[in-house]
Amino acid sequence: MLISCNRLKKYIKNASDIDFLTIWDDFTLRVAEVEGVTVKGNDMDNVVTAKIVACEKHPESEKLSLLKVSDGEKEYNIVCGAPNVRVGLIGALVRDGGMVSGFKIKTRKLAGYPSEGMMCAVDELGIGTDHEGILELPSDTPIGVDFKKMYPVEDIIVEIDNKSLTNRPDLWGHYGIAREVCAITNHELLPLELLELSNDKKDLEIKIHNPELCKRYCGLKIENLQNNKTPLDMQIFLYYAGMRSINLFVDLTNYLMLELGQPMHAFDARVVKSIEVKLAKEKDTYTTLDGVERVLSKDTLMITNGDEYFGIAGVMGGLDSEILPDTNSIFLESACFDAGSIRKSAVRLGLRTEASARYEKSLDPNMCDVAIKRLAYLLKQENPDMEIVSNLTDVYPNPLTEKIVVLKKDKLQTYTAIHFSDDQVVASLESLGFKVKVLEDAYKIIVPTYRATKDVSMDADIIEEIVRLYGYENIKEIPLKLELTGKEEDTIWNKEYDVKKYLATRYSLNEVHSYLWYDSSLLKACHLEKTGVTLLGKNENNLLRDDLSLSLLPVVKNNLKNVDKLGIFEIGTVIVDNENKRRLSILLADDESKMMNLYYQAKEIVVSLFKSLKHIQVDFKKGKMFSYYNENLSNEIIVNKKAIGYVHVFNGECVRYIGKKKAMVAIEIDFDKYVDEDANEILYENISKYPNVTLDYTILTSKDFKYDELLKILKPFNNKYVKEYRLVGTYEDKEVKKYTMRYILGSEEKTLETKEIDKFKEKFMEHVAKNGLDILS
Amino acid sequence: MKEKVFDLKNKALEELKTLSKEADVLNCKAKYLGKKSELNEFLGSLKELAVDEKKIMGPLLNQTKKELEEAFSHKLEEINNQISYDFDETLPIYVETGSMHPITLVTKEMTDIMKKMGFTVVSGPEMEEEYYNFEALNIPKDHPARDMQDTYYLSNGKLLRTHTSPNQVRAMQKYGAPLKVCAPGRVFRNEDMDANHDTTFFQIEGMVIDKGISISNLIYVMRSLLSETFKKDVKVRLRPGFFPFTEPSFELDCSCLICGGKGCPTCKNSGWLEFCGCGMVHPNVLRESGIDPEEYTGFAFGFGVTRIAMMKYKISDIRVLNSGDVRSLQEFEIE
Ligand SMILES: [Zn+2]
Repeated sequence: MLISCNRLKKYIKNASDIDFLTIWDDFTLRVAEVEGVTVKGNDMDNVVTAKIVACEKHPESEKLSLLKVSDGEKEYNIVCGAPNVRVGLIGALVRDGGMVSGFKIKTRKLAGYPSEGMMCAVDELGIGTDHEGILELPSDTPIGVDFKKMYPVEDIIVEIDNKSLTNRPDLWGHYGIAREVCAITNHELLPLELLELSNDKKDLEIKIHNPELCKRYCGLKIENLQNNKTPLDMQIFLYYAGMRSINLFVDLTNYLMLELGQPMHAFDARVVKSIEVKLAKEKDTYTTLDGVERVLSKDTLMITNGDEYFGIAGVMGGLDSEILPDTNSIFLESACFDAGSIRKSAVRLGLRTEASARYEKSLDPNMCDVAIKRLAYLLKQENPDMEIVSNLTDVYPNPLTEKIVVLKKDKLQTYTAIHFSDDQVVASLESLGFKVKVLEDAYKIIVPTYRATKDVSMDADIIEEIVRLYGYENIKEIPLKLELTGKEEDTIWNKEYDVKKYLATRYSLNEVHSYLWYDSSLLKACHLEKTGVTLLGKNENNLLRDDLSLSLLPVVKNNLKNVDKLGIFEIGTVIVDNENKRRLSILLADDESKMMNLYYQAKEIVVSLFKSLKHIQVDFKKGKMFSYYNENLSNEIIVNKKAIGYVHVFNGECVRYIGKKKAMVAIEIDFDKYVDEDANEILYENISKYPNVTLDYTILTSKDFKYDELLKILKPFNNKYVKEYRLVGTYEDKEVKKYTMRYILGSEEKTLETKEIDKFKEKFMEHVAKNGLDILS
Repeated sequence: MKEKVFDLKNKALEELKTLSKEADVLNCKAKYLGKKSELNEFLGSLKELAVDEKKIMGPLLNQTKKELEEAFSHKLEEINNQISYDFDETLPIYVETGSMHPITLVTKEMTDIMKKMGFTVVSGPEMEEEYYNFEALNIPKDHPARDMQDTYYLSNGKLLRTHTSPNQVRAMQKYGAPLKVCAPGRVFRNEDMDANHDTTFFQIEGMVIDKGISISNLIYVMRSLLSETFKKDVKVRLRPGFFPFTEPSFELDCSCLICGGKGCPTCKNSGWLEFCGCGMVHPNVLRESGIDPEEYTGFAFGFGVTRIAMMKYKISDIRVLNSGDVRSLQEFEIE
């Protein structure tokens, strides 16, 4: 929102004491964020009011005129291209050496004639957008007067961050800002000049059907309005505040919105019959002032006139009620609508206006009549003969009264750790318009209605008011006592970090982050028809992932454009059966020929992860998660007899998606289960005093005989001296396979005797032979 | 002659120093102590000397011979103690290293600091209920504050959390008061992406509830946290802000990390950088979580880890973080 300091000064007694350039740092610290301060008028120099005293056409140019312009002391030759030049016109002359909008103006020849300056259009002066012709000032304007002295060209314009005003409906107008400036500078806020209305005429026909949505509706009819031209100083103000000047009646409603934050409407009174406020019929259409046809819903609050829609309440009016050049009577609307309702309408219609932005903040309904009286006062300045032909008709079903809040003194002390005196509290609150009664251990505070609609409703709100004016920067820091005992540590975060660090350091894998939703192009390319939770209002990339490894394939694809092999991991959320699940996914990719290496590397990572971080032995069991994983090469990871994840290999369609002949092995671990699985305690184990015996056996098998099958044979072989046995080597040629198994024998009680060892040997050979395998000697 | 012997000995010892191979030492030994060596010739000519001279030169020559023999055998022993090898020991070393995500590293660093300050790390779900994301945080339906956050609503009636603040309520409901928690996490906003905006980014929420917690405590915690994080003394200041779940609410600025507060382009010459939002926990939020606001007060804050990571690692485009491009992510070494 743009704030004019010239305007603020009008509301503040002794405003000249305030430095309006530097006060805004304080404003940011006390009230709301100031985004910028711009000084206006520095780019104008040596511009005076001047009258055209002679005017002839340029002999060779249709457009140009040769003027003689007087500033009362001297006549200047001016070549001018504006269509509205005529003798007697008083305008703004920038003289030789002067400046407008930052451009230096010098005497020079134009189309063969000297031009000793320039008669300016409004946009050239930097005070508006009009470029139809040169500025025309009223005929009684004295000439030779510095333009900057006569009009409020010099100003300081302050931009305040709208977001920081979200909860301050009272700050959506200059008067509210002025109140804050007064409070932080100890100045007095002046009352507004209003036109007091006698209310001895007839009421207008106004009816509210939904008092919960329309809090108040005030109307006033004014006739005999001869002048609809906006004075230049108001035009400059509107322009500086970011609005376009249209005509006096419309400009005044905008002016009031900028001054008090109260949106208003001026209808051409000739078309107004009877006003009603009610909800629209579903699917009805209505064309707003901007010429767009809008589809309404049964929740859209409307203003109707007779039986016809007249405007979308709080958002925008329609074409029928527009002020026309010959309008000389108006119907003024000043209403207050429910914030939520206006917000919904504006969002649904995609139409956020200056009015709806303000209504959404919960405006004070008690502002409605004040705004009408203020507008009437300002209108009368330009139309002294205007006639008020109706009562200020006020439909106000449930008047909002001042709110009372009690603030306990010790609560103020608790929040701030500062001792405030009663005088301090009273002074700061009263400067903001609150009324305070000091009780023994509390303050009884009457909250003005312009703060009570939403913003201030309880003691914490009052504390904010007191402390922000005291200055947050004046609060000294106090160390937090560390006596608070930490709750039992939520360990998920630590475990995630431990696993990440292990994978990155031990296996040189790279951690990545990816999005919570699948890439649509991936699902399409792999012909995957997945269902699940979707993002509303999105057609692409809208399905939440249920398989972290799959969702990482686009990452793999992108990386494989730059590297030949890859190892990445992510710990992230997936959504399975409408629930959040935490998953760890590790993806390894390399050339197709490296499948076996990759596959065993993946298994090794799983085994090592659980062994190193949990001291748990992992088993694998055939099984897969989704159809896009390979039937034969997919395993469930079994930990303490529970399935905790998968090691699996992507099938062809997923590899084709990558676009390169690659092997891709994925590990997907249920991280919630990983966290829950207790680590085994490592207990000290006595090392036997007696030596172990190591025996290696090379077992010959057929080519297609798998280790898994061998294990099935070896497992049932029992001997009390076997401490451990494991595979230590394999050999494979075109015909046969050889497995070398190492058996470690020993006892805690004695050194094994030769005959015990021999007995083992004999029994073992027998067992193997019984199962149809040979042992090579 | 005496001098000649001394010179000979010095020459032999000097030469020996330069040798490092066994064969060379043996050659050298033969040269100085062998049958045809000068020293041997001296010994041979000893009998031709006069008695007086013989008395001096005899012991000298024998002494010299003994010293040299010792020197050679010492050298040979030294060489034999070296393990011999025959490979090129000058090849370069290449270490393949993995990497952790910059967000992980920064989050770890910050949660470690907060743990030292006594905070417990908690976490919550990314797919969240509207109740925790909004209602319980004093943001009713149609509250304009919902506009501030472009929410991803889901087909199952839930949403993707727009901030880590739901963790406040979850922690209070789970643990009650007093409470001191922080909650790092991923949050989502339905926004157009550019170099500064991504739909998916990370925050850390912090919350302290106890009897007598004041704004002064909040200032202390934030200044300590930031000073530790940026490893320099930073100043903090509070400005009025607005969040429905805190009252009063503040915007917290920290003194510019680039210029230290003197003013520079990064801080738009103000000397301050906007850091995060914070405030005293709203009584409605306390009440909703079963904590009596007449008995307990507290503060809460939430800041963007993604932004800190970008500042810390000088990442100019936020989209790198979720790209999964290992070429850029590999840069971040593990501490
Ligand atoms: Zn700076």
